[in-house]
Amino acid sequence: MKRFLKSLLAKYILIILIAIFLIQAAYFIIIFVFFNLVDDSDSPEDGENTFTEIEEKWHQEANAVVSEDDVNQLFEEWREVYSNASMFWVNGNGILTVQSNLQENLPVEWDATYTADFLKRNYNNDPFTVVAFAGENEEDGFIVFQLEREAMKPQGQRLFDQYSWAIVMLTIGVVFLFIFISLWFFRGIRKRLVHLQEAMEIRDTDGLPILIEEKKQDEIGDLEKSFNQMVQELRASREREQEEEQLRKELIANLSHDLRTPLTKINAQAYTLQKMNLPKEAKHSLKLATTSIEEVDKLIENLMSYTLLMASKYKKELKEIDMMRFLRQYLATWYPVFEKERFEVDIDIEPFEQNMWKVDSLWFSRILDNLLQNVLRHAADGEYIAVRTESTGHHDAIVIIDKGKGMQTSTDQNGAGIGLSIVDMMVKGMDLDWDMNSTEEGTTIKIIRVKRADD
Amino acid sequence: MAHILYIEDEKEIGQWVTEDLTGRGHEVVWLTSGNELETYINHIDLAILDIMLPGLDGFSIGKRIKKANQETPIVMLSARSAVEDKIEGLSFADDYVTKPFHPDELAARVDALLRRFQKKEDTIEIGHLQIDTKSLVITNKHTAEEILLTGKQYQLFQYFIRHLNQILTKEQLYEGVWGERFMEGDKTLMVHIRYLREKIEANPAKPTIIETIRGIGYRVKK
Repeated sequence: MKRFLKSLLAKYILIILIAIFLIQAAYFIIIFVFFNLVDDSDSPEDGENTFTEIEEKWHQEANAVVSEDDVNQLFEEWREVYSNASMFWVNGNGILTVQSNLQENLPVEWDATYTADFLKRNYNNDPFTVVAFAGENEEDGFIVFQLEREAMKPQGQRLFDQYSWAIVMLTIGVVFLFIFISLWFFRGIRKRLVHLQEAMEIRDTDGLPILIEEKKQDEIGDLEKSFNQMVQELRASREREQEEEQLRKELIANLSHDLRTPLTKINAQAYTLQKMNLPKEAKHSLKLATTSIEEVDKLIENLMSYTLLMASKYKKELKEIDMMRFLRQYLATWYPVFEKERFEVDIDIEPFEQNMWKVDSLWFSRILDNLLQNVLRHAADGEYIAVRTESTGHHDAIVIIDKGKGMQTSTDQNGAGIGLSIVDMMVKGMDLDWDMNSTEEGTTIKIIRVKRADD
Repeated sequence: MAHILYIEDEKEIGQWVTEDLTGRGHEVVWLTSGNELETYINHIDLAILDIMLPGLDGFSIGKRIKKANQETPIVMLSARSAVEDKIEGLSFADDYVTKPFHPDELAARVDALLRRFQKKEDTIEIGHLQIDTKSLVITNKHTAEEILLTGKQYQLFQYFIRHLNQILTKEQLYEGVWGERFMEGDKTLMVHIRYLREKIEANPAKPTIIETIRGIGYRVKK
């Protein structure tokens, strides 16, 4: 129940109820203010007489008049009850003798024509007019009682007529108040939803959404709560994934470490043996053994990289690097190796139009390592390696050329396959392309960067 | 001869490397863990460290050595070849050699580092030149005369001697000597190399001391 009271639904119901209540309340107020005299809605000012009663009473009292004093007294009595009423007496000679609170200019002398006109004008009209003969004799003239019909309306009716604009305004006001409260309510909801949406779009450095503040315990609050729960689950899952990744990396690293340690020992023994005075055949075997050790070492390295690449767990950080600078520096480390193997090294690197390549330098080194390693292992017969740059309208490329017997015909390609698979995955992983053309005269490998619009 | 601290827990490998380096004229202290590090830390010219060791690992030992003396070169020698390991190792160490390795390679890297950190007190001979690597006094053996170099030539030659046998790119040389970023097409370096050759080469038209490695840069080889 407590939860329900805090919900948006409850608030909305409350607004509706308030609106209904306000309308009802307005009616009650109107009724109370304007029609509280509903019982005496027919009563004139004195609280008991109607027009008919006034007429009867006027006739009756006028009948009792004998002298001018009587008239004055009568007027005085009536004035106490009907303060707004105008009264006058026209005597038997047609002279306006006594008057009280006259509203219009009346002549002093009344002839038959004017009298008839007066009667015609005021019969059944506003003001309400009663004409009665004074006294019992018609010679005593007549006395007239006039009262604004307005004064005879019930008070509520009069107030209603006077303040009807206020009622309209009040009704409009109530409607607007309801619209305003509704809008205010929805604006609050909208604001929170927009805020929520914005918060949901913010990403942390790890690419996951951030936790959002849970403000209220309503439906949107529930949504915020669920969202936070989801973020936490995502984080937990990411952490688990990272742990697994770490474990996998550790496993591979340890495995390769454990494989390499005995290799190093074999290497040490081979080296020690090589220093001894051995027969020629033994030395040759030993050299073969040492070469095999190197092969196995490379294989372990490639296998490790391959496993990580396949699982997309090989660290990659693409950065803009100056390819000319990188290539020269890189080749400086490989040059002595080829020199030692008596290769002719032909390096011709010319700057590209766009020297900044967006690559991971470690990945790029790895690609070149594998390619050059292959040249060293499988194209040693050619004793030639060239590294060049090539620029066409379509692409820039780094070209590696050897004069070996070619990939297809090479008899011992141990490890070349996996090495090239790694090259393929890494090249494509950096949005580059590569191309290999192998014949019996040699192999040409190109690492291609297709020119882009923003170059 | 240099004092080398070598930490390796694998007996066979440790013994082999120790013998080899001793055979090359170095004095080697071989430890199987970092426990006694403090005894030697201030008396060594260079350290060779394995990574996976009982107790403190090679990374921690290396960092301690660098903290004690920034000028002690460190070679990490490990069977761990993952990029992450290399990056962590090279964040403080000066070289990273992976097992299995050839002892000649290790010896060459040790020599290069000793030279770079000027730990070697010897004179080297390159062609007709005799060079004192500390004072960098260059003597022409044929005439027994000292060759005097100007400021930039001296710096350039010193840079070559510190990176003996290493191919240096135009960028490395220019940035190492001038301390500014090399701009493609800048001829300053070429001009200075020509002046240097005129002073030190027996025949500047056919240089033998400063070798041009076409497409890459230059090298001074012992």
